[in-house]
Amino acid sequence: MNLVEIVVLGSIIGGIWALVASGFSLVFGVARILNFAHGTYFALGAYFAIVLDRELKYLMPELPSLIFSIIFSILIVGLIGVAIYKTCIKPVRKYEVMVILITLAIALLFEKILLAIFRDTSVSVPFPISGVITVSGIPIPYTRLMALLVAILIIILLERFINATKTGKETIATSQDMEASMLIGIDVEKVYTIVMFLSASLAAVAGILYSQIYAVNPQTALRVLIYAFAIVILGGLGSVRGSIIAAFIIGFMQVTVSIALEARWAEIAAMVAIIAILIVRPRGLMGVE
Amino acid sequence: MRRVILLLLCCVLILGCTGGGPKAGKEVVKIGVIGPMDTKYGIAMERAAKIAAEEINAQGGINGRQVEVITADTKLNPDTATSEFRRLASQSNVVIGGFSSGVALSMLEVMAETKTLWLGDASSPRLTDKVAQDYEHYKYFFRPLVTNASTFPLDMAEMLDYLNDQGVKIKKVAILRDDALWTDDVMKVLRPLLEKKGYEIVMDKKVQKGTEDFSTLLLEAQDKADVIMPIIAHVKGVALVKQWKDMGIKLPIAGHDLSAIDPDFWNATEGKCIGEIYTADGGGVPTPLNSKMAHFISAYQEKYGKLPEAYSAYGVYDAVYIYKAAVENAAKAGEKNPFDADTLISYLEAFNTQHPFEGVRGKVAFTSNHDLAWGSEFVRNYICQWQDGKQVVLYPADKATGQLITPWAE
Repeated sequence: MNLVEIVVLGSIIGGIWALVASGFSLVFGVARILNFAHGTYFALGAYFAIVLDRELKYLMPELPSLIFSIIFSILIVGLIGVAIYKTCIKPVRKYEVMVILITLAIALLFEKILLAIFRDTSVSVPFPISGVITVSGIPIPYTRLMALLVAILIIILLERFINATKTGKETIATSQDMEASMLIGIDVEKVYTIVMFLSASLAAVAGILYSQIYAVNPQTALRVLIYAFAIVILGGLGSVRGSIIAAFIIGFMQVTVSIALEARWAEIAAMVAIIAILIVRPRGLMGVE
Repeated sequence: MRRVILLLLCCVLILGCTGGGPKAGKEVVKIGVIGPMDTKYGIAMERAAKIAAEEINAQGGINGRQVEVITADTKLNPDTATSEFRRLASQSNVVIGGFSSGVALSMLEVMAETKTLWLGDASSPRLTDKVAQDYEHYKYFFRPLVTNASTFPLDMAEMLDYLNDQGVKIKKVAILRDDALWTDDVMKVLRPLLEKKGYEIVMDKKVQKGTEDFSTLLLEAQDKADVIMPIIAHVKGVALVKQWKDMGIKLPIAGHDLSAIDPDFWNATEGKCIGEIYTADGGGVPTPLNSKMAHFISAYQEKYGKLPEAYSAYGVYDAVYIYKAAVENAAKAGEKNPFDADTLISYLEAFNTQHPFEGVRGKVAFTSNHDLAWGSEFVRNYICQWQDGKQVVLYPADKATGQLITPWAE
């Protein structure tokens, strides 16, 4: 087994998982919402970018078309996240089981819609620069390098946003005590909306990067959800930092299992990890109570 | 108000009794098409059947009866498939289609129970083995759409021989295959066949449907093998081919990748499939190899504005005409009911290696257990390659439309 291969490939997929899981965790930490539709934002990010790029290509050169499509897609998915929160989640927010049921139904609904429009095929977002660098025998295409850099950059920005801006601090306050936050004049509803937007957008970015490296199909959303779950449970529900660390651990585990056994065992391992952590250490690495 | 409703009801009833539709007063022959209708394989089946039906209707129908196509969706789920097959069995004269051997095997029992003629798709040998084992029970199954999976290994072995003949040195083979019933059947024959020919299978990995990350598999193959041989129909080749090209893997991909047959594969992979070598299932490549094929492709493009989405189009189109020919031969021979399933068996069996049926894909001949006869003169899997946006036939030599290119070696 090649250690370099595990580190290189595991970091890349870990970076993408970190984007997915940090948003998932943020929403749970701040609003106590377990959003089963989170994987859907991942898939929608990729699909919107693909569709927009196909259309915009006729109006402008390829590179600006791609960049615009990606930015629009991230914004649209962010807004869809907010819309789903306002229309479907907010009315039932007090009932945790209802939130799970309704977001799961949304996830299944979008899967069916994607299947009806795009059929059971894999599609991918184009990447303008082709090329490979080789690190001790492991070829790393520019797509993957770019994905890792973008993921790290966004994670740093997210940390800065939470810890260094006023809105970020309001977010932390809301996650610690919602009622006290309301008493000191924080607009909790605004915080929820911002968190929903961020969370969906982060998933969209991850979906776009993922589909540039690999591809997406309508079933991707639910598979991504399994990994997101494994990561946030390992990292500790509600802890963004824990999720980011856990994302890389799961990424390394995924690659190790793929090499040692077969790719199909990676998902099984993720599910076993979910159960094991819940039994042995339900708080995960850095969970909030 | 009540009177108006009553009046309306009466009108509906009268219209209903007189048939109302375009086929008023005439008997129709109903062709049931079953497949995964959410996928391009199912869509292509339905569209091809409709083109055949329209053509046949314009020429006076089958033995004077107009043809009507009804469809059913398997959802790739054995439970849905069996109940939908039962519905088609009660409504139609013949069922065409299938796809996915696990699903098809479940439908086979309903077929036997309802004694429904079924011109099927799905490549597992288990389907036609049943015909051989219990002929009376399963004789209603014929497989004109695809060749038996036990013949795929013959194609694969020929493909490796062909590549060696062309100067691509291949000895060690890395196999990536669907985690599904049909590839187990392929491997049972392929492994001893390749070993006998002096090839070495150094890697044999199963991949689940929906897999998109092939990085570790590609790297392992590069370490160990001379060729990556995919045997995939449920797993999509887009992600595999993209990563193969992006990572600059210095091995050819040569095998059975069902998605590579699709005309939009070039665009779906952003042209990264250049150089991929694959077998075209049942001869179903959108390259007009004969005048019938040219006619069908242009009819399809005219009606739907694009090339057939999947290989299944060609087989279904052939199947409708095979059914028509069998019925008409039965009528000519003076059969009382030429549409009867039991009657038609022997007329379908008469399309054998001596008297094959001429279809768009070439000669269709049934073996004694209702499989397609395999051989250069019959419908077979061509060896093709993606080159500059085009699907080029490399082998057999008399069908070749171009020469092998080796972009992976550059």
